Amino acid sequence: MGKLTRPVYLLGAGCTKFGNLLETPEIQGLSIYELAAQAARRALEDAKTDPREIDAFIIGNHMPQSLNMGSLYSQFTKWIGMEHKAGVQVAAACSTTNAAATMAASQIAAGVYRKVLVVGVEATQNNPKGPFPYGREPITSENMWMWTDYGVNQAYGVPQGYDIFPVYNGLMALAYRRKHGLTQEEFDRGMMELCRTKRLHGSLTPNAILQETLEEEAKRLGFTDLYEFWTSPHNPYIAYPTRLRSLVTAADGASAMVLSDADGARAYDGLPVELLGWGISVGDLPWYQEDATTFPADVIAFREAYEMADIRPEQIGYLHTHDCSHISGLTNAELSGYLPEGKGLMYAAEGRLRFDGDRPMSTHGGRHAFGHAWAASAGADTLEAMDQIRGRAGKKQIPTPPQIAVVHTHGYAMISTVLVLRGGM
Amino acid sequence: MTTSVIKRYYDGLAEGTIQATKCPTCDTVTFPPTTACEKCGSFEVEWVELSGKGTLEYVSHGAAPPPNPAFNDLAPYSYGHVRLDEGVYVQGIVTNVEPTPTALEELFQRGPVPVEADIIDVGGLPVLAFKVV
Repeated sequence: MGKLTRPVYLLGAGCTKFGNLLETPEIQGLSIYELAAQAARRALEDAKTDPREIDAFIIGNHMPQSLNMGSLYSQFTKWIGMEHKAGVQVAAACSTTNAAATMAASQIAAGVYRKVLVVGVEATQNNPKGPFPYGREPITSENMWMWTDYGVNQAYGVPQGYDIFPVYNGLMALAYRRKHGLTQEEFDRGMMELCRTKRLHGSLTPNAILQETLEEEAKRLGFTDLYEFWTSPHNPYIAYPTRLRSLVTAADGASAMVLSDADGARAYDGLPVELLGWGISVGDLPWYQEDATTFPADVIAFREAYEMADIRPEQIGYLHTHDCSHISGLTNAELSGYLPEGKGLMYAAEGRLRFDGDRPMSTHGGRHAFGHAWAASAGADTLEAMDQIRGRAGKKQIPTPPQIAVVHTHGYAMISTVLVLRGGM
Repeated sequence: MTTSVIKRYYDGLAEGTIQATKCPTCDTVTFPPTTACEKCGSFEVEWVELSGKGTLEYVSHGAAPPPNPAFNDLAPYSYGHVRLDEGVYVQGIVTNVEPTPTALEELFQRGPVPVEADIIDVGGLPVLAFKVV
């Protein structure tokens, strides 16, 4: 891995409310075009950048079956103010926007472009309705996963019974239990605390799909004891020993960000966030081998990101790890060096992963509470890291804004992407 | 006409054999088979047959409807992480472990257990599954 020959900055980012285009008031009734446009506009406004200043754009999506379209670069150009710019569509599933940011950064560092807009857009809850280009209708969960799994090994994996939940949750959780000698109750209690943290953060984040804390949900369903609720039929095992509330909440949404060279950053009157470095590694099934808690792709991505950015784990003040599987998010936090190995659940129970703890993580709520709109999510994660660095994260602002943040995402299936961000020039 | 690597693999399964590719340069076995060595990237690979015997490291289950509708009649099923005796890892359906928390916890407590291939038919396609022996 080389290093950037010129510095690259994130000037602005934006995302929509994550929810359901058919139900969620903030986005209800929008077309997929308008969803992307809303995120792009917010990013451009945050970057204080006129669309005419953008030299190129990259747009991405994972599941075209819910859009019924390809060639997003031309189909969206008039909606996001990019007509006649250089543009391209990329796909890295749930890493799309951050992987696109690294491509934009390479172009900027090479001196080819000065400012680049990155956009990710996804609908996981609905698809076009009949002949009506403005109408949408719900899709089943089975169809959503079948289409999502087009990103997974189609020669051997899917045709032979691959299922995301045991592979990405249950098997890893069993390996974590064995590695660290945890009983099922110890594991269950720890995962409950981890979920409680995510849900707290979601409740403090206006754009999150789940606004209700875990305690509020338990109370609404008639429970006074949180663990009793956690182990009740309301929270069944989806892939033993992993329960429903340790999993992703699928959503519709869009995100965007504006990257710039140093000239653009100097002209910006806010706090630019430097993209110090990144690591990317891809791997096909099986994602892990003798140690089922560790993906070799993640080991490589973290190592390369730290080398490129020239940082050490102890310098990190905020971390997001891809957590559509809470156990995977936890093992990657430990792999990153941000949390000590085997201590993640204890840290969660002690409140240390909260925004006001000493190891704040995923303060927007992560994939379970903020929601997950596949290709749009990485941009929302980066936006949250930028907000924390800039001290504008609202009610869940880390008391002392971090100087260095790391954002890790998994793109199905599987591209591990790690970005290292630092506030200022 | 040439035969796809994928078809040769499934044809082999239908006949009860488990085929992989092996790199003569670095001796890495790529399983399931592909056109290149998964370690060094060499396209010069040879066919080898695997035993189908191995160790079930972990077994979980899928309680939600399977994402591949071909498996609707089989679901819910147990799904495991297997180390084959040849040293390669594969994940697949485990046919003789009940997909219940009690049975899965019981097997977890026993620790890794030996398994062997149990090739099943799903909608006309032979599927590499495993059974605890």
